[in-house]
Amino acid sequence: MTTRSLLAYRRNPATTRATRPKSRAPSSGVRNAYRVAATLLALALWQVAVVSGLVSDAAVATPTNIAREAGPLLASHTFGTALLDTISSWAQGFVVSLLVAIPIGLALGSSDLAYRMSRFTIDFLRTIPPVALIPLALLLYGATPKMAFVLIVFGSMWPVLLQAMYGVHQLDPAVRDVARAYRLRRLDRIRFLVLPSAAPFVATGIRLAATISLLLAIGAELLGGAPGIGAAITLQQQNGDIPKMWVYVVVSAALGVILNLALISLERRVLKWHSAHRSVVAA
Amino acid sequence: MALRAPFRRRSLSHRLLMLLAEVAVPTVAIVLWWVLSANSTSLYFPPLSKIMTSFRKIWLFSHFGSDVVPSLENLAAGFAIATIAGIVLGMALGLLPRLADAVAPTVEFMRAVPGVALLPAALLLLGIGPEMKISLIAYGTVWPILLNTIDGVRGVDPIVVDVASSYRIRPQDRFLRIILPAASPQIVAGMRSALSIGITVIIFSEMIGSTNGIGFQLLSAQHSFAIADMWAGIVLLGILGYLLNLAFRGFESYLLRWHRGMRQLAGS
Repeated sequence: MTTRSLLAYRRNPATTRATRPKSRAPSSGVRNAYRVAATLLALALWQVAVVSGLVSDAAVATPTNIAREAGPLLASHTFGTALLDTISSWAQGFVVSLLVAIPIGLALGSSDLAYRMSRFTIDFLRTIPPVALIPLALLLYGATPKMAFVLIVFGSMWPVLLQAMYGVHQLDPAVRDVARAYRLRRLDRIRFLVLPSAAPFVATGIRLAATISLLLAIGAELLGGAPGIGAAITLQQQNGDIPKMWVYVVVSAALGVILNLALISLERRVLKWHSAHRSVVAA
Repeated sequence: MALRAPFRRRSLSHRLLMLLAEVAVPTVAIVLWWVLSANSTSLYFPPLSKIMTSFRKIWLFSHFGSDVVPSLENLAAGFAIATIAGIVLGMALGLLPRLADAVAPTVEFMRAVPGVALLPAALLLLGIGPEMKISLIAYGTVWPILLNTIDGVRGVDPIVVDVASSYRIRPQDRFLRIILPAASPQIVAGMRSALSIGITVIIFSEMIGSTNGIGFQLLSAQHSFAIADMWAGIVLLGILGYLLNLAFRGFESYLLRWHRGMRQLAGS
C-alpha cells in the first residue's frame, strides 16, 4: 500500500475516463517543459524567500549559493569519502537485513501456527523506532560504521520480514488445494507456487527496506556521529557554513531519489509477469 | 470464496488455542529475558527486574506529564497539520493531473529529503521549542498522506465521476460525498505509514538540543550511564508505539466500516 513515485505514475486504463479523447494528452516534450518550468518556479520561490528575509539566511542557503558551493565541494576528497561511507553503511545494512529477514519471513509465513505465534512479537518489535536504539548502539560500538550497521539492520529487517511472511501466508487456498490434489512435490510447490506468489510482496518489502536503510544510515551519522554525509551535515552546521551544509542535505535527497527510481525500474523488470505490472489486464 | 466459507469457520476451542499461541511467544520471550538477565553483570544489559524498577520510577508517573505528554502533543499537532495539508493538496493535485505532473520532480525531491537531515537547519531556524519539532513532524509525515491522496483521487471509478457530472451534482457535493469518501481508504493507509514516521521524527528531534521529551530522557540516561533508565525508555517507546498503532487501527476500522462491508459484499 505504498505509493511508488509521482514521476513514474502510469495511467491505469481501467480508471481512465473513456469519454476523454486521446489527442488531449500532452506530448512528452510539452510535459518536460512544464516540469522544468515548475521546478524553476519552485527554486525561484526558495531564492526569494531567503533573500527577502522571510526565511533567515543563517539557517537556509539560497539555491544560487548552494550551486556555487556545490562545484568545488563535490570534487573534493572529503565529499567523496563521506559519500562512500554513507553508501557502504547503507549497502551493508541493507543486504544483511535482507539475508536475515527473507528466509525467516518465508519460514514463519509457511505455517499458520508459526504465523500466528510470531505476529504479536514482530508487531511489537517493529514499532520501536530504530533511532531510540541510537543511545544503546553508541554505548556498545561508539561512533563507528558498525553502530550505523547494527541500527540499519534492526530498522530495515521488519518490513521485509513482515512482507515475506504475509506473501507466503496469503497464498490462494484454491491454488494450494490444486497443488495438493496433483501431489506436487514439496520442492516444486515452493519453487512454482510459493515463491512466485510471495515475490511481489517481498519486492515491496525490499523497496521499503532500501529507503529505511538510507534514512537510518544518514540518521546514525547525524545523531550518532558515524562517518558519512549525516556527520558532514552536523560538522558544517557547527562550522556555521550554511551553504555547504545544504549541499550535503541536497545530496542526501538526491541519493533517495536515485534509489527510489532505480528500485521501481528494477521491480518492473523483475516482476514483469505479475498482474500488478501488466496494466493491460489490470481491470 | 463462497465455497470455502464453511471450511474456514473455526470452532471456539480452535480460536482459543490460536489466541494462546499468539500470546505464548511474547510471554516466553519475557520470561526468558527475565531469567537470563537476572544475574547479568554486563553494564549494557542490566537485569530486566532493574529495568522494570526504573520504568516504574520514571514513567509511572513522575516524568509522564513532563516528558511523555509534550512528545505526544507535538506528535498530534504535527500529524494534524500534515493530514490537513496532505489531503487538501492531494485532492487538488489528484484532480489536476497536468499540475501534478508538472510538480512531480519538485515533490519527489522534497519527499526524498530525510527529515533528520533538516534537523540542523530547523534548529537554527526555529530554535529548540515545540515549533521546531512540530514543523519537522509535519514535514516528515506529509508525503505519504499527500501521495496516497493523489493516488486515491485518481483511482475513483470514472463511471461514478461521469454519472455525477451528468446528474449535475454540485461541485462541493462531488468533493465531499463522492471523491473524498472514495479516496479515503488510500488516504488512511497513507496516514498509517505517516504515523510511524512521526514517532521516529519526534524521538530524534528531541535528541538534539531539547530539554524535555522521551528522546531527551533516553539520551540523557545514556550520557549519565543510567543504563537501566535508558532501557526503560526503549521499553516505553515499544509500548507507546504499539498502543498508537492499535488506536489508529481502531480509528481506521471505524472510519472505513462501510468500505469493509462493501468489499465483503463484492467478494461474496
